[in-house]
Amino acid sequence: MAIDARHVTKTFANFPALRDVSLRVDDGELIALLGPSGSGKTTLLRIIAGLDSPDVNSKTEVLVNGDDISRQPASQRRVGFVFQHYALFRHMTVFENVAFGLRVRPRKQRLPERDLRHKVNELLELIQLVRWSSHYPSQLSGGQRQRVALARALAIEPTVLLLDEPFGALDAKVRQELRRWLRTLHQRIPVTSVLVTHDQEEALEVADRVVIMNQGRIEQSGTPDEVFHHPVSEFVVTFLGNVNLFHGRGDSDRTARVFVRPHELEIERQPRNGNAVAARIVRIQSAGPVVRVELSRAESTVEEDSAINVELTHDQYRSLALKSGETVFVKARDARVFVNGTN
Amino acid sequence: MAEKGWVRTALILVAAGFVGLLILLPVIAVFTEALRKGLGFYIKSITDPLAFSALRLTLLTAAVSVAANLVFGIMASWLIAKFNFPGRSLLLSLIDIPFAVSPVISGLVFVLVFGAQGWFGNSLTDHGIQIIFAPPGIILATMFVTFPFIARELIPLMQEQGSDEEEAAVLLGASGWQTFWRVTLPNTRWALVYGIVLANARSMGEFGAVSVVSGHIRGRTNTLPLHVEILYNEYNFSAAFAVASLLTLLAVVTLVLKAALEWKIRVEERHEPWP
Repeated sequence: MAIDARHVTKTFANFPALRDVSLRVDDGELIALLGPSGSGKTTLLRIIAGLDSPDVNSKTEVLVNGDDISRQPASQRRVGFVFQHYALFRHMTVFENVAFGLRVRPRKQRLPERDLRHKVNELLELIQLVRWSSHYPSQLSGGQRQRVALARALAIEPTVLLLDEPFGALDAKVRQELRRWLRTLHQRIPVTSVLVTHDQEEALEVADRVVIMNQGRIEQSGTPDEVFHHPVSEFVVTFLGNVNLFHGRGDSDRTARVFVRPHELEIERQPRNGNAVAARIVRIQSAGPVVRVELSRAESTVEEDSAINVELTHDQYRSLALKSGETVFVKARDARVFVNGTN
Repeated sequence: MAEKGWVRTALILVAAGFVGLLILLPVIAVFTEALRKGLGFYIKSITDPLAFSALRLTLLTAAVSVAANLVFGIMASWLIAKFNFPGRSLLLSLIDIPFAVSPVISGLVFVLVFGAQGWFGNSLTDHGIQIIFAPPGIILATMFVTFPFIARELIPLMQEQGSDEEEAAVLLGASGWQTFWRVTLPNTRWALVYGIVLANARSMGEFGAVSVVSGHIRGRTNTLPLHVEILYNEYNFSAAFAVASLLTLLAVVTLVLKAALEWKIRVEERHEPWP
């Protein structure tokens, strides 16, 4: 079901966490709320869930499927929520954790025990933890715990699924696996989902649409391709991965700031036109899918970082035969130019 | 460990010596003194009607004050650990007052408030209610003195556990009541057992505050510790120690109950080693 949050405003003791944010998520869409810590993404999620309340005098509205739920208590909203630290009930088995939402229903709506067991077992099959059903959370790995948390949230057949940094506490490999698994799961059960993360790679990989937040506002919203290739602000460029900053010799007195990603730079032995920058190779890291070359430019202005990072393919690296300490020329193939903060 | 063998042995001996001197020896002394005049005298001392009524009052006091503190303690800890409200730190300090003031002063405060010459003395007398020099006063004083035990065990644990599980429960549709009974309380049962044991031990053994409000009326307002003192002051040493041994036995029963409960919980959740 579609989520429509309008004019969400929240202030924590004089700190504006959300400033009049409006967010729409279409039915069945999986979006990522991406931003640094303190950008307001988790607060927005908690307000949609009903765990936090927006400012009293704000015009905040939260609509799910067209119904205003902002006056409803969290327990009535039927929102699936997955916490960063799992928040599994530590004294209950995996089975009972998943069954919890079904057991606390009002007596009249409660399923008969046989149906309940059937339903919980189906969910345990979905997360491939049937064999672990009588184990306790402390006996599971982090990845398994988060899968249980997801099954527990899905058990109540939520109208929307909210995930608060769900993979933040896991190590890199498990994270990668769970991301793919979540993507597949979402194709099977297309419940409207909002994933909060500060990891741009995760957002770009998992989500249909990425919403980038900064200082309590939405900076940009778009498909992963759009935000990555057509960032609307310097913040978005710098947040979505490594980037090199150059100062354009701008026309008139306006300063142009030029952002170039490491893979958009080329290294030449001889400057073929005037735009190349001379730099000395500081370090070469060739273990990995790409070769990372760290250079130090010969001249740099105050604002510019003297370091330049370039990513080359192994083929390019081999044909150039680069060595540390050499002076070479760096040229941009592509760039994003911002004048006074915007393009 | 790189520690030399003799260092370790010496440390163990010192520790064992302390336990023996400070805990084991007094317990042995209590039973030896109690049985000094023979088993017959011992049985006569503890079956004495006055000793029996003291025992009954002690058990009643412990039962009521532990039950009341259980309810208040859980409520207060829940509020303090899971919610942020104005006056929260004030409440936290108030809970500690019984630890901070001498029990004798606590007793005197109750006399001042509820005694015949106290603030509510007249209205209480008019309604025929006697609190001071009667069991209600003893129970009140004991409740006051033992109030922090359960709350102080629960608060740190509840704070450490945070509110994530409660939030998860609420979002799954649980009411506040269901959340409390199914999530908050089961998560704190270990601390609860300890709190109850400590509060119970203290309420059976409380002397100072109870001594002030009791009036020492034999057969009516004497608890076991007060009865022991009276016997002792009458140079009736063997009887005093016989009754003291009763208190010691009550403590042993409490500890056995606690161990049994721990064992039961551990069987239920074999995966969770204590602590």
